[in-house]
Amino acid sequence: MENFKNSPLVKKIGFNRIVLCGVLLLMYIIFAIVSPTFLSYSRILSALNYAYFLGFLALGVTFVIATGGIDFSIGPVMFCAALMGGRLLVKDGVPVIVALLACLLVGFVFGVINGYLVAYMGLPSFISSMALMMLAKGVGSVFTQTQSISWPQGTDPNGLGWFRNLIKMKVGGVDIPTGLIWLLIVAVICAIILNNTKIGRYILCLGSNKEAVRLSGVNVKKWEMIAFIISGTLAGMAAIAYVSAYTTVTPSGGDIFNNDAIASCVMGGTSMSGGLASIGGSIIGVMIISLLQEGILAMGFQKDYQYIITGIIVLLAVFADVRSRRRKN
Amino acid sequence: MGEVILTMKGIDKSFPGVHALDHVDLEVRKGEVHALMGENGAGKSTLMKVLTGIYSKDSGTITYEGKEVEFTNPREAQAAGIVIVHQELNMMNHLTVAQNIFIGREMMSGKLINDSKMNEEAKKLFRQLNIDIDPTEKMGNLTVGKQQMCEIAKAISHEAKVIVFDEPSAALTEAEIDELFKIIRDLRDKQLGIVYISHRMDEIKVITDRVTVMRDGGYVGTLITKDSTKDDIINMMVGRVIYEDPKTESTVAPDAPVVLKVEHLNAGKMVQDVSFELHKGEILGFSGLMGAGRTETARALFGADPKESGEIYVNGKKVDIKSPMDAVKCGIGYLSEDRKRYGIVVAKSVAENSTMASLENFMSGIFINKKKEAKIAQEYVESLKTKTPGVDQLVVNLSGGNQQKVVIAKWLVRNCDILIFDEPTRGIDVGAKSEIYHLMNELVAEGKSIIMISSEMTEILRMSDRIVVMCEGKKTGEIDISEATQENIMHAATLRN
Repeated sequence: MENFKNSPLVKKIGFNRIVLCGVLLLMYIIFAIVSPTFLSYSRILSALNYAYFLGFLALGVTFVIATGGIDFSIGPVMFCAALMGGRLLVKDGVPVIVALLACLLVGFVFGVINGYLVAYMGLPSFISSMALMMLAKGVGSVFTQTQSISWPQGTDPNGLGWFRNLIKMKVGGVDIPTGLIWLLIVAVICAIILNNTKIGRYILCLGSNKEAVRLSGVNVKKWEMIAFIISGTLAGMAAIAYVSAYTTVTPSGGDIFNNDAIASCVMGGTSMSGGLASIGGSIIGVMIISLLQEGILAMGFQKDYQYIITGIIVLLAVFADVRSRRRKN
Repeated sequence: MGEVILTMKGIDKSFPGVHALDHVDLEVRKGEVHALMGENGAGKSTLMKVLTGIYSKDSGTITYEGKEVEFTNPREAQAAGIVIVHQELNMMNHLTVAQNIFIGREMMSGKLINDSKMNEEAKKLFRQLNIDIDPTEKMGNLTVGKQQMCEIAKAISHEAKVIVFDEPSAALTEAEIDELFKIIRDLRDKQLGIVYISHRMDEIKVITDRVTVMRDGGYVGTLITKDSTKDDIINMMVGRVIYEDPKTESTVAPDAPVVLKVEHLNAGKMVQDVSFELHKGEILGFSGLMGAGRTETARALFGADPKESGEIYVNGKKVDIKSPMDAVKCGIGYLSEDRKRYGIVVAKSVAENSTMASLENFMSGIFINKKKEAKIAQEYVESLKTKTPGVDQLVVNLSGGNQQKVVIAKWLVRNCDILIFDEPTRGIDVGAKSEIYHLMNELVAEGKSIIMISSEMTEILRMSDRIVVMCEGKKTGEIDISEATQENIMHAATLRN
């Protein structure tokens, strides 16, 4: 076991992440045994639908958690963006591409506000993102007169449903999960930002010891704000993935996805105290939660069971994090 | 002065690697104010911690009211009547004065706290002490001086017989000090034994009856205050042999240009109208006792804390430093006294820490050039002889001296010409210490300039070309190394004006 732990490849990927992959595989096997429909391609595609938007949320919030902060606004911001973009498309008749860009813009704006409040005004991110969560719910709801918004179906006679190909495209009668490609490309970009650019370097360093970074002459406020902007913008992107998968958005919701996104990050080894983050880990976390939610539904259980299991996995992941930290000290 | 109430005899205490107390004696009589004096690190606080049971002594005896005692925690000492009034007040700002005084022993009626009874009792206490404070006021609304009076009242309410004041006047105004002295004299007249720890020579003369001086953890002697002069006490405080050769004259060229000029710098109480010049190739020592405002001056100069007024000139040009970012742009680097909190990011690698202040020089487009980063980090690991298995090693795994070298590397990679070294050898072992001295000498030989804040007299005398002495936020002396002695530095460091 120790040999395995210390081999260079395992060290590079991270032992915890390998364990997580094992958990993911084990879960799939269990679901497949209990409910053989899991062996079907469509079931997997269905689970992936959940993974796309959750993936973007988790990727974004990973940056915020890396600064030592938290963002509770991402879920509602995603819904707010989807509602506003949807209304522009359905009621105001703007082109689809404009509606999609509007989603990104809404997320971006929320990210800017949140980042400014935290980095420049010194608000705790817990408070500021909580306030923005309510704001996002309210604004989205007001904008649509508390109506649900349905984005066009793929079968839309005017061809407005083309955007749904972003996550699933039929090529020669076979469904190609384009969303997976999209998510992975964004994940790779995020990993590069986190590990190879100034943004990531300073975000991780300030998450670890903000004052030391400030005293090195670094503009910590700017970099901290950027983390929130990334989080907000990716919540906007999550809105696109969400409507591509489910088309219908109801007002004043979305907060339940905060928990799933944050849980994904924590499972993946991103430390809630900041300074340590793993994009790959977050993606594996997202896959576990998506599979779990699909599996629980498939087995005919209530969603509550998903929460119980997610809760247990998160606790175990945090325990592992705390223990390894204590050993280091 | 009455009979002896407390005797500490031959108190000895060692920590791993440090002989903190070496057979120290202290005798306190009823109705006396007994000063305990010594430089930073002389062992005054350690002695008081042994007295109140925070530390256990290795040997020696404590006799209190005729009986040998050994307290295992401050609560026991308090119960017996020995109380410390700390410099840092342990008060809860959101509670009322009375609630603070009776914390941990609240007066009850049944299961409920009886606030009105506590207010009554507190009022009685204050009347007894001739203090005018409303017991129902929130502690946070009081001035530091008044808070201290509450602390004293709390001590009295414990029926204290010996009260230790640990630098009580450090944060007080002139008027508050007068009031404090009135109370202390009152307590003395009530036959309490009082230990008064302070650096302020003038106060010692005013308020105390006897003085016990400590130096380097040892007992030097006890004097009757009114029979001794200020110089007697200073000589006792500093009379140590200096092992390393002190510098005898400045190595700075006489025509060396001024690289940094600070004029009338003000930042709160701790930095009042500080002006000085730093020359190219100079090590300017900043000496003073704890709380003299040296670190605060450095932080204000560096933009780490806001300053109220003052002008800064770098190479003759006036600069506006509002943040560390501005300071770094002016070529100023700051090594903090608290390395772990302000110097390094312990969870990151040697390489990442080395380029922290100059990452823009290690970019290829938008990407960090990690090869180039590792290369420069490696260069400085070699030139500073940093002991690390590699540049990708996390800094948390290095020893204090090597962590310090990583911080130095950070500023050298940034190519700063003006370096502020705040307690550069604190918590560093002897070997690494002389390496850092050597390095500082090399740096100034290369034409860099250094401000060195140090609480170690030997370090000041060994490294500095010129010495600025501060006391209570003000510059109280500037001494060329050729004229500097421990005595005249200490004299300036205790000068109060």
